[in-house]
Amino acid sequence: MAMTLITKQNRKIVKDALWENNPITLQVLGICSALAVTVQLKTALVMSIALTFVVAMSNVVISSLRNLIPSKIRIIVELSVISTLVILADQVLKAYMYDVSKQLSVFVGLIITNCIVMGRAEAFAMANPPGKSFWDGLGNGLGYSAVLITVAIAREILGSGKIFGFQIVPQAFYDAGYVNNGVMVLAPGAFFLLGIIIWAQRALSPQLSSKDATK
Amino acid sequence: MPKQRSNLYTFTFALIVCVICSFFLALVSEGLRHRKEVNKEMDVKKNILKVVGLKEPLPEGADTATIKKIYETYIKEVVIDKEGRIVEGKMPQVIAEGEQLYPLYIYEEKALPVAYAFPIVGKGLWSTLYGYFALEPDAITVRGITFYQHGETPGLGAEIEQQWFTNNFKGKKIWDLKNAALEPVIVVKGNVEDKIQENERDHYVDGISGATMTSKGVTEMVDRELRKYEPFFAKIRGKN
Repeated sequence: MAMTLITKQNRKIVKDALWENNPITLQVLGICSALAVTVQLKTALVMSIALTFVVAMSNVVISSLRNLIPSKIRIIVELSVISTLVILADQVLKAYMYDVSKQLSVFVGLIITNCIVMGRAEAFAMANPPGKSFWDGLGNGLGYSAVLITVAIAREILGSGKIFGFQIVPQAFYDAGYVNNGVMVLAPGAFFLLGIIIWAQRALSPQLSSKDATK
Repeated sequence: MPKQRSNLYTFTFALIVCVICSFFLALVSEGLRHRKEVNKEMDVKKNILKVVGLKEPLPEGADTATIKKIYETYIKEVVIDKEGRIVEGKMPQVIAEGEQLYPLYIYEEKALPVAYAFPIVGKGLWSTLYGYFALEPDAITVRGITFYQHGETPGLGAEIEQQWFTNNFKGKKIWDLKNAALEPVIVVKGNVEDKIQENERDHYVDGISGATMTSKGVTEMVDRELRKYEPFFAKIRGKN
């Protein structure tokens, strides 16, 4: 019964953004934060939630205003909406999750510059009604989150032997000579993982390699 | 396709967007102000507790009440003037800008000082660096340094907050016994082992590669702040 509340068309919008048109692996947007905040699963999760919130809400607002925005100031108006939402998210984080917000430092603010948000606003919200725009925003946010969480899990386990701060690799391994992979803690490690994910995805769905990535 | 709008419409639209955005931001900012202030206050206390090196370190994820209790049990807040005398009855929170009064945090166990901590502020490359510096009761040996706020480049200047950097300060000396002079710790460019001869190494720490300006900022601020508190610490050394 709940599924009929989300129409088939809207489900397709979300599904597309998760796989066929994933913002990071196919649209190749939002890479920088994908590298920076995925050292730990906790920060990656908070960043994912923040970005999903921003892109979904900004899509809704911009879509509602799409016929009213004067074309001369279109980009700036979109930026104002996005910035307001990002600052809202940042303030809430500083108030309720202070330690995590310090670890994320400038990267929450940088969501304003994250191409996914502006990209979807221009590509979808300006040409579609608010309902569909919300699902598109949500889908892209989830697509971004899926990649971030995957990379973060790999980086935290391989780079520090932990998940969410909890020690996973037993002390016995360290005693036997196992060493945490230092590259995983640095940006290049994230780059390699991202490349592997893109490669794996295209291997699983060969049709994605031939289509134009930025639909 | 969008219709051509008059300039008046464009201006009015822009104005309304600005007003509405500002309104929401102000609302949220004010609404959350109390929580943010509490967070900041706890952060300051946590940092002081961190730099003094408690016998039993603060548990990770300690809540506000625990932090407050441990802080109030072990830390004595005093204010000193520029001659190094303790100003009776004054608390660090009420020091006004421009007053030549300085806060000092004393970690006491059984009424004896175990560490002296004070705030340090200075210019990094991109931002102001805020931290705390702690000395052992002999007022000669460094007990610790922490940085809790800065806007330096991650991987470069931001390394100042990493343990590998701050741990190097522990055990260094700020006072040269031979010359009986203040010699604050200096951050070298490169490694202390390569650059400094053995008998001088107590006054130097390894630099951060790629962050020369930030390192220089740290050296400068440690120097300046130590000189501010020197009248007080000279008295402590005299008593010992």
